[in-house]
Amino acid sequence: MKYLFIDSATATLVVAIIIDNEIAYIYNKETGKDMSSTIMPVIEEAFAQTALTPKDIDKIFVSTGPGSFTGIRVGLAVAKTMAWSLNIPIIPISSLEVIASTPNTNNNIALIDARRGYVFAGVYDNELNEIKEDKHILLSDIKADGTYISYDDFEGLKPQIDLLKVIKKHEKEQGENPHTVNPKYLKLTEAEENLKKKNDNANK
Amino acid sequence: MYILAIESSCDETSVSIIKGGKEEIATVVLSQMDTHANYGGVVPEIASRMHIENITLVIEEALKKANMTMDDIDAIAVTYGPGLIGSLLIGLMAAKTLAFAYKKHLIPVHHIAGHIYANNLVKRLEFPLIALVISGGHTDLIYMKEDYSFEKLGGTLDDAVGEAYDKVARVINVPYPGGPLVDKLAHQGQDTYNLPLPLDDDSYNFSFSGLKSAVINLVHNEKQRGNEIIPENMATSFQNRVVEILTKKTMKALKEYDVKNLIVAGGVAANKGLRERLTKECNENGINLTIPEIKYCTDNAAMIGAAGYYAYKLGRRADLSLNAKASERLK
Repeated sequence: MKYLFIDSATATLVVAIIIDNEIAYIYNKETGKDMSSTIMPVIEEAFAQTALTPKDIDKIFVSTGPGSFTGIRVGLAVAKTMAWSLNIPIIPISSLEVIASTPNTNNNIALIDARRGYVFAGVYDNELNEIKEDKHILLSDIKADGTYISYDDFEGLKPQIDLLKVIKKHEKEQGENPHTVNPKYLKLTEAEENLKKKNDNANK
Repeated sequence: MYILAIESSCDETSVSIIKGGKEEIATVVLSQMDTHANYGGVVPEIASRMHIENITLVIEEALKKANMTMDDIDAIAVTYGPGLIGSLLIGLMAAKTLAFAYKKHLIPVHHIAGHIYANNLVKRLEFPLIALVISGGHTDLIYMKEDYSFEKLGGTLDDAVGEAYDKVARVINVPYPGGPLVDKLAHQGQDTYNLPLPLDDDSYNFSFSGLKSAVINLVHNEKQRGNEIIPENMATSFQNRVVEILTKKTMKALKEYDVKNLIVAGGVAANKGLRERLTKECNENGINLTIPEIKYCTDNAAMIGAAGYYAYKLGRRADLSLNAKASERLK
């Protein structure tokens, strides 16, 4: 089986091609603001180096967040368009689960900085079972035992992702219709929050 | 040659298939206007969120409507700027992905070039011409010697004309999007308020923030004196100044550049007051005026497919590193 993997939800872009449970190509680098100009040339390189074409892909694994709103959408727009046009199923993956694939003896608390004291956090065990679901939460409100894993500046480990572990965990899944795979932001936009507050106050 | 075009620079997700730069085969426009109306204007993050939810559905629908598949398409054209960066990126990433997966040429199209070429779908452009581009984000006078050659004569120094309309609408309690309603009110009122003719100088530049402030101050002062303003009359007074200065500078450009063709483009080209005035002036001065029907005035991918064809003929191509640009000079 041939899989394409895309995660652009954090400043670190991960693009990989997996052929029969082996990583045939991987790009795993901090890309930051260049995400939107970098991702397609990287994907082009991935196919060139593995001598595959998009038509050869059986499933597309894509991270749907949480993380950078724009970052999530950049990778997902590519995945959705490719999957829809070539009729390939999409398997949506949590960006926190990808981070939590880092080898560790403890449970992993994957973190992405969400500013103003908030983080996106998910707690996973070593088999990537979800111990606590992904959340937008104050760092100080996380009540879980485990090691912080993050690209951002938290005390703990830096991610050393184990892509095959993530793939293995999800590859039996049927996959979803690309049209209906959408980001999991875990957070409303500021405008929606303000409107909600206003409506809640009006209802009091 | 069939071009599949994608436009997502603001709050419309649109995909179109255009033949030879002139013939519209199919267009789908998904407008988010009703959602943004809840917030009194376009919320960029919400616009981006809606684009990603709809992009593949809109592409599919356009192909279905055209009864075509990706294999029938010769090239992909996409708006890369200017516009809302998060919104632009969705259409851009989709376009780059299709170009890569199907080995098609990728044509980068400037949003304003698109608005200008909307007129090409109505009638083949005749050169040289002057283009007056007026929308919520733009107010530009452009001279075109030939296809895809753009010389900017002037533009707004502050607010775009459509932006000024929306702000004035808010001040006189007209709901968003205010432009069309202010235009309607303007036809019912009288020019009774003393408003300045903005930036009435020898340049081809425009300025609408002073006029907007004059409206705000007048409304404020009248309120303090306990007087109600008459919205219809304020709309008429405001619109008359806008139409006057747009017409004056456009007619001056036509005369100075000795050009007989005028095209008007952009969302504000739907304004009835301006259409009436320009039609009259052009008739009196022997100018060929083209204003597209309303569906081509607002953002749509058909215009991007039309512009994309002429960009393609000039050899314009982008590679897969093409990025979105929030602001970008027309070239």
